[in-house]
Amino acid sequence: MEFFIESLQDFFPVTEVVTIGDVTVYGLAVGEYWAFITRPDQPLLFDPSVAELLWTDPVTFFFGELGIFSVFGQAGITLAMGVAGTVIGFPLALFFGVLGSERVTPFPFNFLFRGTMSAIRAIPAIIWMLILIPLAGLGAAAATLAIAIDTIGNLGRLFVDELEEIEDGPIEAMEMAGANYPQKITFGMLSQVKSSYIAWTLYITEINVRIAVTLGAFGAGGLGNVVEVQVGLFQFTNVMATLMCIFVLIISVELFSQRLRSRLRSDEEKMGFAELILGFPDRFAESMLK
Amino acid sequence: MSKIVVDSLTKEFGETVALEDLSFEIDDGEFAIVLGVSGSGKSTLLRCMAGLTPPTEGEVRIDGEPVTGPRKEVAMIFQQHNIIGDITAYANALTGSITRHGLLKSVLQLQNPPEKYRALEALETVGLLDAAQQKARRLSGGQQQRVGVARALVQEPEVLLADEPVSSLDPGSSQQVMRYLRTAAQDRDLTAMVSLHQVNLARKFGQRFVGLRDGKKVFDGYRDQLTIDVVDEIYGDIDTEGMFVVETDDGTETSSEQGATH
Repeated sequence: MEFFIESLQDFFPVTEVVTIGDVTVYGLAVGEYWAFITRPDQPLLFDPSVAELLWTDPVTFFFGELGIFSVFGQAGITLAMGVAGTVIGFPLALFFGVLGSERVTPFPFNFLFRGTMSAIRAIPAIIWMLILIPLAGLGAAAATLAIAIDTIGNLGRLFVDELEEIEDGPIEAMEMAGANYPQKITFGMLSQVKSSYIAWTLYITEINVRIAVTLGAFGAGGLGNVVEVQVGLFQFTNVMATLMCIFVLIISVELFSQRLRSRLRSDEEKMGFAELILGFPDRFAESMLK
Repeated sequence: MSKIVVDSLTKEFGETVALEDLSFEIDDGEFAIVLGVSGSGKSTLLRCMAGLTPPTEGEVRIDGEPVTGPRKEVAMIFQQHNIIGDITAYANALTGSITRHGLLKSVLQLQNPPEKYRALEALETVGLLDAAQQKARRLSGGQQQRVGVARALVQEPEVLLADEPVSSLDPGSSQQVMRYLRTAAQDRDLTAMVSLHQVNLARKFGQRFVGLRDGKKVFDGYRDQLTIDVVDEIYGDIDTEGMFVVETDDGTETSSEQGATH
């Protein structure tokens, strides 16, 4: 037990905060975390050298190797893997998801698509990355492709399930209007699931960012890689700092997707970007007072 | 000339007989109304006529051709309006023209201008031009139903089928929708078949009546033949005293007949 508490101090370094007379107050050494998070050669959350480019060389800033993601340092690499994987995987997930539904493809044939998705899901994303290493090399590219493939399996399955729930009415209406088969699917079926498809896609994006952290620890780079390296160096304070960054990243993605979802869903007057950020304290106070 | 011929139509759902040996003919340009209580087979009849439900026996012929599936010259207005909630009223009306365009053109709304004017015209016919840019799901029930009517009109059908188009609407909206339906049918020279369960509305707007009870035809005739006895036969034991008021009033509404028919 004592040993455990001692070990915990590696994760939560303690330092003297103030000394008043004989009494010394100890506190968490936040500075140590901060030093690691902002270290110049490998910043975790924000890269000031990249941010400078916005003024000096905006083309590189927006269209450089990682594009706008590189401003977020190591978190940017993780985020880029998750988002790019979703973007690549989405069209295929839509294709497999729609064709996997019994409403679209008649019974035995829809299992061709459902079966493919099940096979994809049977293999975890991490294994997909290992499979893809000979193709793309160990790094972010293999991880992105692995996440894309994983997205087909998971998001496609959600798409299939969503299509089972829809109502026959609009489909019949489109049939009566003389729609051809693709029109019937688009107007009669997909129009009914549009908002839930967007919601699921954003949810899968969140999950994919989390998967990107895991894949990072296996050599794909980003925050996951930092954790892995620092564990290897027994620098548990740094590990803790990185974990905090992962938390910040995940919670930011979640908040962002939630905002985006409610924006897409609401029919009311949309909030401007400036109002969204500047008006936050007001809205926060307002809902606290309720 | 008969536009629609229903020839000894029978429809069974397992043990249940929904329609039993039903035969009648509707002339070109007639505004016909199917009367009957809930479960009397009105919806099944209209679905068979639309080609959405295959009959067990017998057949429906439109323009002499047997109905085997949905046809582009037959438009249908549904009880639950079945419009697409996520797009605007205008876009919904445009889907009526879906058969004349490919997938890409209909998704991107690249229809030619006459087609778009037709959609706006149809919305004007049903008095919804001002709400054209509103999301369909944000419209009221009556407005949604009128979007359904507009969509059917944009299809430019020859036959208009309507399955209880006003059953979920309040009396005011009901009359409005029925009025738009009849005006549209007259202006565009359509043959219309509308199922209703409100006798007052039927008397007010209908020309020709077909009465159903338990899947059998119990009446087939014109307005002057639709007497209190006939209504009694179609609807069974209801408050005939209320109905009697309707008869003497001849077509104008009173609150008592509302109560009697519901």
